[in-house]
Amino acid sequence: MFLKGFKAMLPITTGILPFGLVMGTVSYAANLSSVEALGMNFIMFSGSAQLAVIELMLQDTSSIVVIATGLLINLRFMLYSAAFSPYVENSNLWVKIFCAYNLTDQTYSAMKANEDKYKSIPEAVEFYIGSAICMLLAWHGSVIIGFIFGNFLPTSIALDYAIPLSFITLVIPTLKHKNYIYVAILSTVLSIIFKPLPYNLGLLSSALLALMFGAFLNRKSLTESQIKNFMDTDNVRDQNSPELNKEEL
Amino acid sequence: MIGSSYFWFNIFFLSIGTFCIRGFFIFLSSRIKISTKAKEVLSFIPAAILPAMVAPMVFYHQGQVSLLFGKERLLVLILSCVFCYLFKSMLATIIFGLALLYFVSNYV
Repeated sequence: MFLKGFKAMLPITTGILPFGLVMGTVSYAANLSSVEALGMNFIMFSGSAQLAVIELMLQDTSSIVVIATGLLINLRFMLYSAAFSPYVENSNLWVKIFCAYNLTDQTYSAMKANEDKYKSIPEAVEFYIGSAICMLLAWHGSVIIGFIFGNFLPTSIALDYAIPLSFITLVIPTLKHKNYIYVAILSTVLSIIFKPLPYNLGLLSSALLALMFGAFLNRKSLTESQIKNFMDTDNVRDQNSPELNKEEL
Repeated sequence: MIGSSYFWFNIFFLSIGTFCIRGFFIFLSSRIKISTKAKEVLSFIPAAILPAMVAPMVFYHQGQVSLLFGKERLLVLILSCVFCYLFKSMLATIIFGLALLYFVSNYV
């Protein structure tokens, strides 16, 4: 099962490698020492947040804004954490720690996309651990390569441009419904307007406002589905009852 | 240049915070369950944040192609969005974007 998880991850590494290379190159360009670059990468282990905070730290942004922005970007992991938790409910602490540390966009999507490959919960955990190891190798390897060799690339190729490019490739697959597209457009417009805000608060405030807008749009669509639920079932549960939707896993 | 203590201070709290976010439901799953509604709101996070990171970076960049008023990065980014939507490949999109930017900056 480990091997299956590892193999399932291999095609996804084509998306990890360029991202890791960019991460390594950006760390080098930001004049980070190798201990700083690799240490950050190892303990934080979240590419998009790292790129954002390096950008902010280069402009000497206050720590509160840096930390808040990075954590806001990583708040999406809470979603994965919730979806993943039933698998490790009965595992020991070390497995839980390993799985939590390795929760990334890529390992989570690999697990979700290969549901047919594992039949029981222990198998699923093994599958996940295999894919997580593949992810660790690909990510850290590509960051190190980017950090060492990034400076050898000719300057005519604008490698810093790979950052916005890698971000759009991360966001476009998530725009599955028109509400997501509205949120993305609002976030774009606000961030351009808010750019002159002091303390680099532009990113944080436009992201929060766009997220609230998403919640607002969602409130409407959810009400419709709840009305439908109401008519479909006799036994209606409280709409806010904390019930994990296992079908989604 | 990023100061070392400033750097580690931020990274320390970011790392702790990130681990807590990732572990939140994994460690507390027996006690807390997340509502579907909260899950749906969380799913808007990439769409709310990533464009806000990209847009100012590219929009305010002053390039060198006078024909495009120095906004070649913006044009290439829009085309790359279309490319990414059509082909759904991260690697191909990054190569496409970098190559197109190289071409536009040097030959237009």
